[in-house]
Amino acid sequence: MRFRVVIKRVKAGGEPRFDAFDVEADPSESVLDVVERISLEKDRTLAFEHACHHGVCGACGMVINGVERLACITRIGEVAKGGVVVLEPLRGFKVISDLAVDKSRMFGKYKLVTPSTLEIVDGGLQEVQLEKLYDCIECGICYSACPIANTFPEYLGPSLLALISKSGDGKVPAVVDSRAGVWACHAAFECSVRCPVGFKPGESIMRLRRRLLKGELRVEG
Amino acid sequence: MTKSVLVIGGGVTGVAIAYDLASRGLSVTLVERGSLGAGTSGRTHGLLHSGCRYIADAEVARECYSENVTLRRIAPFLFEKNGGLFVAVTEDDLRYKDFFLKQCERAGIPVEEVPREEALRLEPNLNPDLKAAVKVPDGTFDPLKVILSFAASAKLSGAVIKPFNEVVGFKVEGGRVTSVKVLDKTVPREYEVKPDFVVNATGAWADKVARLAGLRVPVKPSPGVMVALDGRIGNMVFNRLNKPGDGDIIVHHRGTSVVGTTSWVVEDPDSVKPPREHVELMVKRGSELAPIVSRLKIKAVYVSSRPLIGEGAASTGREVSRSFAVIDHSRDGAENFVSIIGGKFTTARLMAEKLGDFVAERLGAAKESQTASRPLAPYWLFFEG
Ligand SMILES: Cc1cc2nc3c(=O)[nH]c(=O)nc-3n(C[C@H](O)[C@H](O)[C@H](O)COP(=O)(O)OP(=O)(O)OC[C@H]3O[C@@H](n4cnc5c(N)ncnc54)[C@H](O)[C@@H]3O)c2cc1C
Ligand code: SF4
Ligand code: FES
Repeated sequence: MRFRVVIKRVKAGGEPRFDAFDVEADPSESVLDVVERISLEKDRTLAFEHACHHGVCGACGMVINGVERLACITRIGEVAKGGVVVLEPLRGFKVISDLAVDKSRMFGKYKLVTPSTLEIVDGGLQEVQLEKLYDCIECGICYSACPIANTFPEYLGPSLLALISKSGDGKVPAVVDSRAGVWACHAAFECSVRCPVGFKPGESIMRLRRRLLKGELRVEG
Repeated sequence: MTKSVLVIGGGVTGVAIAYDLASRGLSVTLVERGSLGAGTSGRTHGLLHSGCRYIADAEVARECYSENVTLRRIAPFLFEKNGGLFVAVTEDDLRYKDFFLKQCERAGIPVEEVPREEALRLEPNLNPDLKAAVKVPDGTFDPLKVILSFAASAKLSGAVIKPFNEVVGFKVEGGRVTSVKVLDKTVPREYEVKPDFVVNATGAWADKVARLAGLRVPVKPSPGVMVALDGRIGNMVFNRLNKPGDGDIIVHHRGTSVVGTTSWVVEDPDSVKPPREHVELMVKRGSELAPIVSRLKIKAVYVSSRPLIGEGAASTGREVSRSFAVIDHSRDGAENFVSIIGGKFTTARLMAEKLGDFVAERLGAAKESQTASRPLAPYWLFFEG
């Protein structure tokens, strides 16, 4: 099938523009595979982020026909409108080039809170505890979808607060209990709606708030 | 004056090399044509090998296991360390067991046979008809985060990491590379750099890149197909207790399980598509290990190419050695150019250490590699400053 892929292009020092590429693709192919093919066959200067190609590394988040999604697990046939797919970089981050954004506004705040990356889960039938990586894949989609994160750069952001709430040992750094922390959230829940792995950051923020109000968490620093 | 090295390729091999060389005090720049991990490294299975998968070659297996232990030590936060099970499903698998156990002992890998009931208790989704099971020290990882941790460590040691910068040409004069032409896609513009030494760590693309300098690298791009399921069906890695074959492994991490893989050989790693019949084969063979596989929705199908070492007439890629090779191009007319191919994600740090020894000797840098003992920086530090 023939698709028209329209991509927002941003290059250093230049004005943003939209480029259209007409491509042959199977409707079941991922948007990412099509973008990669465009970069190899039609425009080698196209910049975009990708790694795992199966929805676990968080690299390929972008705005696809107006909605934040992971391009690698989005089938082009399912999102095209009249055969057209418009791709834009995630909102709320500085654009490096084209669809690639600089995620330092999310990762750069980890040093304030150093969240754990390993979840200790109940072994179920086993006596031993199991270790797994948190399901949050740090894609930044929740920042892009969040009306506050988009307008308030100091905000710690949905995924980071959710990670803190899950790895909690009864203590949180003071920044969590501040205007840049849980109190910035307006409970729009766009983060939870868009999160591609069901990590529910919005609910986690509300839980952190309740626990702070009840005095169940020790605020440090 | 500090000698400068240009590392080409931002896969796990390239970032590990950048870290090794920068921590030896060299001035390092790494260029990657896409984002970090955009080649094979980002698209692996995510298995921190125990070595048992390559147990037929006890030396390769030992190397894997020792790196597995090192990585767990220097970066515990990157790995799910729930172990793996090698499972016999058929009589043929069962016949492989004694050889397997003997080789694990030879390679010094701590494994333990567990009773059938115990295996099913640990992993209820395994085939209930399984005939034997052996517990091994496998682990799993999110490839991008490991790559970013090496890149962060390299950056903290002074390396400059440049994604979206593609090498498009070389000038070779008087038996050495005198300049390298790079396309910066973020501007876009082409520029030239004049490093003292060039490391080609472009994996399956190593020959394509070397040809730009009139050199050749005997790499065989050998793709494999992986099928990601919409759901996580176990904690320990599921392996088929037999010689490596198609669809004999299921790796779980985060909220997903991935069945893999196949193996064939292609000319150009840029034009590989997953054949439909490979996907069907993965589901069929995967269900032999865990019947639930056939009932789950497929979340994604993806493919990437191993940088296998060529030579000899291998047709499937499986016969070719899985260890790595450092190719010194001084004999073919470029004394300051070296390529590295082969290996595994799991052994990238070791490959980088060996390549670092080679480059350090050439450039007269005295420092030894410290990457086996220093903790790796957390990946989020890559995004600072
Ligand atoms: C299907 C499959 C499953 C695997 N599973 C595992 C596993 O579970 N565990 C494990 O340990 N190993 C696994 N491996 C092996 C492992 O993935 C590879 O050995 C390893 O990732 C190779 O890394 P690399 O850095 O050498 O290559 P790559 O990651 O491919 O890096 C090379 C980089 O060079 C870049 N490049 C190419 N041309 C240029 C240029 N002109 N200029 C700049 N940059 C350029 C590419 O974009 C690429 O990013 C698997 C391999 C395959 C194929
Ligand atoms: S919470 Fe969800 S949307 Fe936000 S970064 Fe994590 S995975 Fe992405
Ligand atoms: S490429 Fe990893 S989530 Fe899409």
